[in-house]
Amino acid sequence: MDGGSGNEDLFDGIVMADERFRGEGYREGFERGTHRGLQDGRRHGASHGAQLSTEISFYYGFSITWKCILQHKTDMKSRKRMKALQSLLDMIQNSPHDDPHSSTLQEDMDKLRAKFRQVCSMLNIPTDFKDYVRNSESTSF
Amino acid sequence: MKEGLFLVQKLSAHPDSRCWFVAWSPSGTLLASCGGDKAIRIWGREGDSWVCKNVLQDGHQRTVRKLAWSPCGNYLASASFDATTCIWKKKNDDFESLTVLEGHENEVKCVAWAPSGNLLATCSRDKSVWVWEVDEEDEYECVTVVNSHTQDVKHVVWHPSQELLASASYDNNICIYKEEDDDWECRATLKGHTSTVWSLCFDAAGQRIASCSDDRTVKIWKEYPGERELSWKCVCTLSGYHGRTVYDIDWCCLTGYLATACGDDTVRVFKEEQTTDPDQPVFSLAAKATKAHSQDVNCISWNPKEAGLLASCSDDGEIAIWSFHEGN
Repeated sequence: MDGGSGNEDLFDGIVMADERFRGEGYREGFERGTHRGLQDGRRHGASHGAQLSTEISFYYGFSITWKCILQHKTDMKSRKRMKALQSLLDMIQNSPHDDPHSSTLQEDMDKLRAKFRQVCSMLNIPTDFKDYVRNSESTSF
Repeated sequence: MKEGLFLVQKLSAHPDSRCWFVAWSPSGTLLASCGGDKAIRIWGREGDSWVCKNVLQDGHQRTVRKLAWSPCGNYLASASFDATTCIWKKKNDDFESLTVLEGHENEVKCVAWAPSGNLLATCSRDKSVWVWEVDEEDEYECVTVVNSHTQDVKHVVWHPSQELLASASYDNNICIYKEEDDDWECRATLKGHTSTVWSLCFDAAGQRIASCSDDRTVKIWKEYPGERELSWKCVCTLSGYHGRTVYDIDWCCLTGYLATACGDDTVRVFKEEQTTDPDQPVFSLAAKATKAHSQDVNCISWNPKEAGLLASCSDDGEIAIWSFHEGN
């Protein structure tokens, strides 16, 4: 056989083409996928984050309002209610809801929701705030 | 006298319906029952037989699932599938509805009064356990809502002397709660059953818990005092005795006998053997009444004052009163 080395290179190029294109395609696809994934993730996070924020803000507004209503009452019952409201407010302020990496977020939210239900029971308010509460309950992380 | 379970009387308590639960008053003189007919009936002894003394109706819109007498015996709490808990006050020989506790999202499965009489616990299909405080004016206020189970909570029971609460759930676990800084927290989760835990009870001293499950076993858990965390370990499993789901269990505070109510229509009584090792208790079957009822046995309860007197109730709507005699 003559000119062996040149032919070998040519064949090499053909044989390796498959692999080369595959590699390039993978890289390109990976980049696009990463970009797309980031966008999707951002959208998903923004919408669920907004939902969670709506819920927490609702609890916050709710407790501030009730605190204002009850703050000048001195009877035993109102004081107990104030105490429960304050502990709800403390929980809201201490919950790391601005930290998406918090490992206790789910647990904190469960405690917050339970406290809210207790406060509602103490205030004799039916807990039918579906727009604020139910939506978020179906959120899974 | 021969050892065994002897039928004293059958009562058609909730005809054409299910009888879900029976509860003896603390003095042991009255038996309260509830069922799918939304009614509560109070039974008392007249001569040698048990007769219906009162019927409490119109308190609930749906099935009444469980009942609890206050430790003083003057109040009766009823838990219903209509999402409410009713408190009834005994007046002379009658009962009047005192208040209705609302808050659970759906079916209330159980209610239990703390030994002090100042706290009441309820649990529901909404996965939560609530603790209510009672003041001198008979006002009830929710002091905590705890979501420690991931499924339907079937049963709640208080420690016989401490303010310690235990709950059983469809999530196969048992949770133990204690108050901390004005709030109740789950301090121990007892894992071991492989299906729904239907009921549980403490022994007379409160050092052990007996639980029963859809996995057809009974487990005995013992408390091991720890630093801060509560530690309970399973020290005994009774398997092979029950042919179907074990729905209820009661540990007699007078004799130490364990009675079970099972889906195979049978009532069983277990006796603890004398062993040297408290970490390895051994129980043996002391007596059983097969076909105790014509359908699932839902509940079993020892009379708190009269040793050996046992009540059971069933899906067949009946209550059975039993007399258990130990052998020599």
